[in-house]
Amino acid sequence: MALLSKWMCFNVKSLAGWLITLVLLISAGPEASAQTTVSREYQVKAVFLFNFAQFVDWPPEASASPQAPLIIGVLGDDPFDGFLDDTVRGEKLNHRPFVVQRYRRVEDVDGCQVLFISRTNPDQLGHIMAVLKGRSILTVGDTEGFYQGGGIIRFVTEKNRIRFRINVEAAEAAHLVISSKLLRLAEVATPETE
Amino acid sequence: MKTPAAHKLSSILTIAALELAFFSRSAFAQTLPDFSAPDELKKLSVEQLMDIDVTLVSRQPGKLLDAPSAIQVVTQDDIDRSGVSSIPEALRLADNLEVAQQNSHTWNISARGFNTDLANKLLVMIDGRTVYTPLFSGVFWDVQDYLLADIDRIEVISGPGGTLWGANAVNGVINITTKSAKDTQGSYLEAGGGTELRDFAGVRYGGTLAPNVYFRVYGKYSDYSSEVLANGKDASDSWNMTQGGFRIDDEAFAQNKLTLQGDTYTGNENIPTGGGEKVGGGNILGRWSHSFSDDSNASLQLYYDRTHLAVPEPQTAFLPAGILTDDLNTYDLDFQHHFAWGEYNKIVWGLGYRYTGDVVGPAPTIVFSPAHLDQNLYSGFFQDEIKLRENLFLTVGSKLEHNAYTGLEKEPSGRLQFNLTPKQMLWAAVSRAVRTPSRIDHDLSEPTGLPKPFPQSILNGGPNFASETVIAYELGYRAQLGSKLTTSLSLFYNDYDHVRSTTPGRPGFPTFGFPLVFQNNLEGHTYGAELSTSYQVLDWWRLHGGYDLLEEHVRVKPGQVDFSHGLNETADPKNQFSLRSSMDLPQNVDLDTDLRWVDRLHNNNGPTAGSVPSYFELDARLGWNPTKRLELSVVGQNLLHNHHPEYGFPGPTREEIERSVYGKVEWRY
Repeated sequence: MALLSKWMCFNVKSLAGWLITLVLLISAGPEASAQTTVSREYQVKAVFLFNFAQFVDWPPEASASPQAPLIIGVLGDDPFDGFLDDTVRGEKLNHRPFVVQRYRRVEDVDGCQVLFISRTNPDQLGHIMAVLKGRSILTVGDTEGFYQGGGIIRFVTEKNRIRFRINVEAAEAAHLVISSKLLRLAEVATPETE
Repeated sequence: MKTPAAHKLSSILTIAALELAFFSRSAFAQTLPDFSAPDELKKLSVEQLMDIDVTLVSRQPGKLLDAPSAIQVVTQDDIDRSGVSSIPEALRLADNLEVAQQNSHTWNISARGFNTDLANKLLVMIDGRTVYTPLFSGVFWDVQDYLLADIDRIEVISGPGGTLWGANAVNGVINITTKSAKDTQGSYLEAGGGTELRDFAGVRYGGTLAPNVYFRVYGKYSDYSSEVLANGKDASDSWNMTQGGFRIDDEAFAQNKLTLQGDTYTGNENIPTGGGEKVGGGNILGRWSHSFSDDSNASLQLYYDRTHLAVPEPQTAFLPAGILTDDLNTYDLDFQHHFAWGEYNKIVWGLGYRYTGDVVGPAPTIVFSPAHLDQNLYSGFFQDEIKLRENLFLTVGSKLEHNAYTGLEKEPSGRLQFNLTPKQMLWAAVSRAVRTPSRIDHDLSEPTGLPKPFPQSILNGGPNFASETVIAYELGYRAQLGSKLTTSLSLFYNDYDHVRSTTPGRPGFPTFGFPLVFQNNLEGHTYGAELSTSYQVLDWWRLHGGYDLLEEHVRVKPGQVDFSHGLNETADPKNQFSLRSSMDLPQNVDLDTDLRWVDRLHNNNGPTAGSVPSYFELDARLGWNPTKRLELSVVGQNLLHNHHPEYGFPGPTREEIERSVYGKVEWRY
């Protein structure tokens, strides 16, 4: 920077000044949560998650009360980047509003109904499933080996389109009733077919 | 006027032209989705959701809003909708690059200035394979091609990237990434033709070799007609290129991913001075990625790359015409490991080795000595991203690189990221980067053919040529403002030292100051700004604007001499802007337009100043998908003028780029 002449300094400073002004102006501006950097793949997956809730019946003990919000959880890194929040904003199912919650660790997962498990390695997946075992949570993921641990719905991308497979045994173990409409659209999977 | 290689190599010889004068006298994203809000998607049934092609908008692994650098991303969607037909044309979609088309098959591309014929401050990679040539540390853009439909994204980082990427990432890094074979399943066919892009065809087939082992094979052919000269005559620079390749992605195991890919190409390029240049090459690359845990992964990559070119060099007053050939073989091994160390540190480190074997077959007028040069490049780097606070991150690191010319080079950087809000980020960086010597700087000579005691050479490489260095100071702001507006602004101040000069020899009879020798007698600074903004005006209409400001001050160091008075290492517009509009019209019709303005360019010839006038140009594309499988489009490029120059010293034989119109049919199944 030693080579900066006074004239240069002036110009760089005025650019910096312009930047700061811009930031201040913008900071005061509108703040919305729509996120545009999320890929189409996860946009579509977010809407799938929202749709799944409408095809599943949870046992009463899965919710704190019949009017409690329906919680869609995201465990690990959030690939939806706000798009899931935008998807469920203002939406209700049987008068229950939707809420999105994020969890860093599986131990933090409390009363959610749908849980998206972000890309994890198989070792961790085993641990996650062990913790969630017996709880009425619709687990959804898109990683290989998702069923071995007892995951219920797995997204697969085939020919550039998103399909999903349902592990019916795991759904029954979690006391969830999945509508036959959804089952018809899915491929039925078992841990062995993976 | 000449082919890229001919142009680059012999326009070292902008200087050669000035030799004539002498003897006669006393002798330089993208980031908006197709759905700005989920409402459109929510209207769809589950069946309809299952039918959406999710590859239309490419994945962006690192969130752009989280990237504390002047990065811009050109997505597959951008490429498709703009109607560009080649990688250099696609790079016009990155606001932070200067792209000047010199003739039918030559482009000069740079970031933050120094866009000369021998532009050498940009590092360019295709799927992790470095594509600059050690001949002059620049890129032969004509031979960097791919089936554009299978490119996932192009990341363009302006500013130094030496800490991660090493030498040559002085003013920018371009990372071209092709799609995984998993995402290119099925068949794809394209074909078309028009005025400049006379005819072209491409085909790809993707399938599986075993469960979760995907492959694709592709081939393409393009044939371009000639441009014109300023005097209206045909530039005789028509060319064609044929390329084929494959990619295999083994995703059978969650923890281990394997990729094997390769390409081969051959091309013929006519040059106005007569004859044609032949280019060819191929590469094969293997990559193994292993994930130890969520926050620890490593990759090992090995590639082999080979290039060949044969360029006719015209005769000079005392020497006959001849053919300059270059055969380059590169082997490169690269290892990288990312891991989290405790809660606050994210570390990435790596080791690299590259062997290049370059054999130049001399022409009478251009000689490299030694003709055959083997070089070994060893490198290692370490970088730590430290979480200082929930919203404040400091990244520090350095690369160490050992090359045969200048020994050990250090390229450290420090980078601060401050998240003002989850949607607004400020960043600042200080980096050092180097441009290590290339063969031209060191090994070149251009024989005159004159008898002694007259000068034996016009221009010689410098035996003591040192690395050019830059210390760059950057400041940036990146934001998502509301659901419709994204913007990024980058400011930079670059301090350069040891920039290439040509020092004249002994003046007066009989040498007249020749030969000129490459030395490092220039220094200087540049500063500027890059602004990029996308705005979703309506659900079906998106606007994107980009503006660059660049001030360059390159001067001869005190007490030193440069034959070109510091005029020959830069050729850049002070201002440029572009405005793109993307409209989704009813009946599955898309309309895209791209208006750009480029300021006057100083294109000097040795010490003689010259310029290319500023210009407006307009590209447009109209696409129609009558069915999901079929797409028809019409593309017009450079629509505002019959022809216009983008680069070159003024004169009757400067090449000008003509208006181009072509039609294209695409079929997917």
